[in-house]
Amino acid sequence: MDLLERYLQAVQFWLPKRQKQDIVAELSEDLRSQIEEKQAELGRSLTDQEVEAILKRCGRPLEVASRYLPQRYLIGPTLFPLYRFVLAVVLLGCVVPRCLIWLAFLIADPAHRGYLHMENLWTTVLYFAAFTTLAFAIAERSGVRLDALGNWSPRQLPPARDPNRIPRINSLLEIAFGAAFSVWFAVAFWPRPVIDLYGIHFVMSSVWRTLFWGFVIVGVGNLALSCANLFRARWTRQSAVFRLLSDAAGSALFCWLFRAHPLVSISANGLSPEKSAALTAALNWWMPTAFPYVVLVSLIIFATGVYRIIRIGRTAAGTTLGVMAGA
Amino acid sequence: MSQSTASPDIFENLRLELRRGCLSLAVLSQLRTERYGYTLRKALAEQGIEMDESTLYPLLRRLESQGLLTSEWREEEKRNKRFYRLSPEGKQMLKQLVTEWQKINASLNGIL
Repeated sequence: MDLLERYLQAVQFWLPKRQKQDIVAELSEDLRSQIEEKQAELGRSLTDQEVEAILKRCGRPLEVASRYLPQRYLIGPTLFPLYRFVLAVVLLGCVVPRCLIWLAFLIADPAHRGYLHMENLWTTVLYFAAFTTLAFAIAERSGVRLDALGNWSPRQLPPARDPNRIPRINSLLEIAFGAAFSVWFAVAFWPRPVIDLYGIHFVMSSVWRTLFWGFVIVGVGNLALSCANLFRARWTRQSAVFRLLSDAAGSALFCWLFRAHPLVSISANGLSPEKSAALTAALNWWMPTAFPYVVLVSLIIFATGVYRIIRIGRTAAGTTLGVMAGA
Repeated sequence: MSQSTASPDIFENLRLELRRGCLSLAVLSQLRTERYGYTLRKALAEQGIEMDESTLYPLLRRLESQGLLTSEWREEEKRNKRFYRLSPEGKQMLKQLVTEWQKINASLNGIL
């Protein structure tokens, strides 16, 4: 019976204090009855192996004890989706701005490495995650229910989101700003020996002519797409592919601009030749230095375009919300 | 052509889920007469409903805390045993559950 005593003691360890004796007495009685019945059947005492088999069938002590305990969650299934959403927002809110600030400092001064202290960042993340978890655990413990948020009605829910819809206001803004910028750009940076921009004189290399016309063509293409989107306010495979090609061309031109050393000199009224030369050298140094970041941004833009095309394909295959597929 | 390869684990989970709802009904029905845990388990097993100790005793405690069972410790065959039986509320509840079970059973028979 030594094994039985040890088993009961192990179960008892995990039980709540007030119920320990009662539960163990009842379980003990059952197991003893099983053992006695088996002994009567075999006509002899059970070996340790046979007792062990009975106890193993009964289950691991912790598992057995856990069935007597009320089901407890740190954060229960009702609050968990809300907890996960809040945690994601909080963590993104504390990580993304710091990374952006670090990136900005890095672009401005590539030699600088000190503004993103990873240890501090992880400590912040840990604190935010811990406080959010604690807040939700307290809410769970206090028995907060979603009913506390007030009555709900399907009418109060936000409208179903159609990711392929292009709001007309977006197209109108794109046309207005795109046209204004294109005209300003064409007038201000028209390829000529000296570009005079509000008193600042730029002398550009011959590559500028090609870059300029490239930007103009991409700008006109984007304007045309915005006009088309105004009348057909949904992304189609064709329009998404056109936007991808246009973004790819624009990004390629930007990457080229940052590598091609298009600036020969820069000067301004009242700026000494030495300072002009220093400014030109600084700009010509900074542009190739920032090139990797331009490539990174271009890749993000390209990936967004590719994702848009994939999303259109999925919608067409009916894998998004049923309401949209049916729309 | 796709071939059905339902996992045995999924079947086991669904089987347990299906069974879980019936256990309370089975236990209540067997406690129309007074029994202690071990004899209750044997009685259920003889009727084809096997229940291990760690399922039965927590269930008995839950049903008792809900006022559907009453229990008392008594000595029998020189050992202390806890005897359970249906309380008046338990009898009422058993009637309701049996009616509900028969409805579900009839509906499922129609569907299946």
